[in-house]
Amino acid sequence: MAWVQAFLNGLLVGGVYALIASGMALIFGVMRLVNFAHGAFLMVGTYLSYYGWVLLGLNPYWAFPLWGAVLFAAAVGIYWLLVRRVMGANDFLQILLTEGISLALIGLAQLVFGADYRQINLPIANRITGFGSLHFSVGYILSFAVSVALVIALRQFLRRTEMGRAIRAVAQNRAVAPLMGIRVERVSAITFGLGIACAGVAGALLLPIFWTNPTVGGPYTLKSFVIVVLGGMGSVQGAALGGLLLGIAEQFTAYAWADRYAEVVNFVIFILVLLFRPQGLFGGKA
Amino acid sequence: MTPLVRRWWPTALFFAVITSMPLWIHDGYVLQLIFRVLVFAVLGMAWNFVGGYAGQLSLGHVAYFGIGAYAMTLSVERIGWNPWIGVLLGAVLAALAALIIGSITFRLRGPYFALSTLAAAEIIRVLVQNQDELTHGAVGTNAPLLFKAPDIDAKFFWGVIPLLAAAFALSTWIHNSRFGYRLRAIRENENTAMAVGVNPAVDKLLALLPSAVFTSLAGSIYASYFSFVGPDTVLTIEISVQVALIAMLGGAATVWGPILGSVVLTLTSEIFKTYFEHTHLVVYGLLLIVVVIFLPGGVISLFTRRWSFRRQVGPIGAQQ
Repeated sequence: MAWVQAFLNGLLVGGVYALIASGMALIFGVMRLVNFAHGAFLMVGTYLSYYGWVLLGLNPYWAFPLWGAVLFAAAVGIYWLLVRRVMGANDFLQILLTEGISLALIGLAQLVFGADYRQINLPIANRITGFGSLHFSVGYILSFAVSVALVIALRQFLRRTEMGRAIRAVAQNRAVAPLMGIRVERVSAITFGLGIACAGVAGALLLPIFWTNPTVGGPYTLKSFVIVVLGGMGSVQGAALGGLLLGIAEQFTAYAWADRYAEVVNFVIFILVLLFRPQGLFGGKA
Repeated sequence: MTPLVRRWWPTALFFAVITSMPLWIHDGYVLQLIFRVLVFAVLGMAWNFVGGYAGQLSLGHVAYFGIGAYAMTLSVERIGWNPWIGVLLGAVLAALAALIIGSITFRLRGPYFALSTLAAAEIIRVLVQNQDELTHGAVGTNAPLLFKAPDIDAKFFWGVIPLLAAAFALSTWIHNSRFGYRLRAIRENENTAMAVGVNPAVDKLLALLPSAVFTSLAGSIYASYFSFVGPDTVLTIEISVQVALIAMLGGAATVWGPILGSVVLTLTSEIFKTYFEHTHLVVYGLLLIVVVIFLPGGVISLFTRRWSFRRQVGPIGAQQ
């Protein structure tokens, strides 16, 4: 039964991972950009959600679209100001630029919010529910449900809408897309905004079940890249499945071995997949 | 002036000035600051072999730094060796680690390489953090002193100068040798380099080995000076980023670039630190952004551009 519990816990956390990684997969698939600032934007999402609750009484579970919109706008601004200039440059410069954005955000957060750990106490998130000998916190279930719904919505957006088609066209061929009347710059800006919004919303949803401080995002950059590699580079569906898988793998390691080795599992999976199955576990493209 | 003198007098002057510093600077704080500048100059130069010349963006150099720091500390504490033997042990272990990490990560390119080096360094950090009986875990422990009182600041200062000189000599050699040209060929285009007979797998490893050894030596001396080792101080990703930033800021694939970068970065973050707490990350971040967007050739390109304006500064400025 403990294994079932570990499996389900992993699945619940994995849902949030899926949302974070979908954002990174979208950015990578369309812009060929590895976003080293992904976790830093997630951190910004946690603080938006924190101050929204503490100062304005906004419950993250229904205020998250607002935080997503704020991050979308901020990300589009950063795209026009900075990221645009390294599109098409070598990945060396792209990595250094996004790492620079990440450090600047973390540093600003330390200046403005201080380095303290912060937590909110949301009564509904702390409630425990369960059947038989299985127990779940309602917060995990809510965060999972919202994340999965958003991943599905993102997939539908990419498949069904005109903008979604334009995004997929740019992902397929950046050189030909403009010939079809697609404004590549605009699509890139929107993609960057959407990808960052995914990370930010995930941060907002993690806050009620976790805590935050300025460096909370660090591991998520690596995690989401591991997931993106796992799911096949740039595939949003692959990233969603990879997220669930990584969540489960972490929980199994924590249960079978020790909590603290769960993070090693990420890196080991990452290097193994890159070496032996670089096209990802599920193959396919965005 | 003979050509030899003309070529080397700035270097000789530079080393003469820094070597004499402890004789005329008596302020312990200033000496400590310059000591840090020199240690990070060594680290930047070492990173430059791999990141600058060969163009492989390593974000895991802290692994070798930490190995040097921990090997020195633990060989004194657990085996009872002289700390200097521990320093050598660290260098050997760092070379071994470089062989293992390099032979795995160098198969990957671009962002995959960068992330896999980061992952390797994180694996080492987590392992060190969790071997409480051997490494004191997350708490860390005191590191032994390599030099004894009196005049400890000056001794450490003079201790790092041979290291700097050796790194400088190797940098100069790489800069002008066929090996250096092969590394630059790999940076520009690995497939084309292979087509003209370069073996990237071997050359990248050959660049990483001395890089890891110098990083480990600098790690030992740094940890000893601040007499502390812990996963959050000598194995943190921040150091990897800082080292890469120093080389990029000064000018990647140049001999003087990392020295210049270390001076600029260490002094700027120190100045900001005196006014605000917690600002060094903002400074690093903004400097990275500025360098990437406005000065991809590094600070050194401001000088070289004026003197040799006909040579184009590439995306990762490729001149001395």
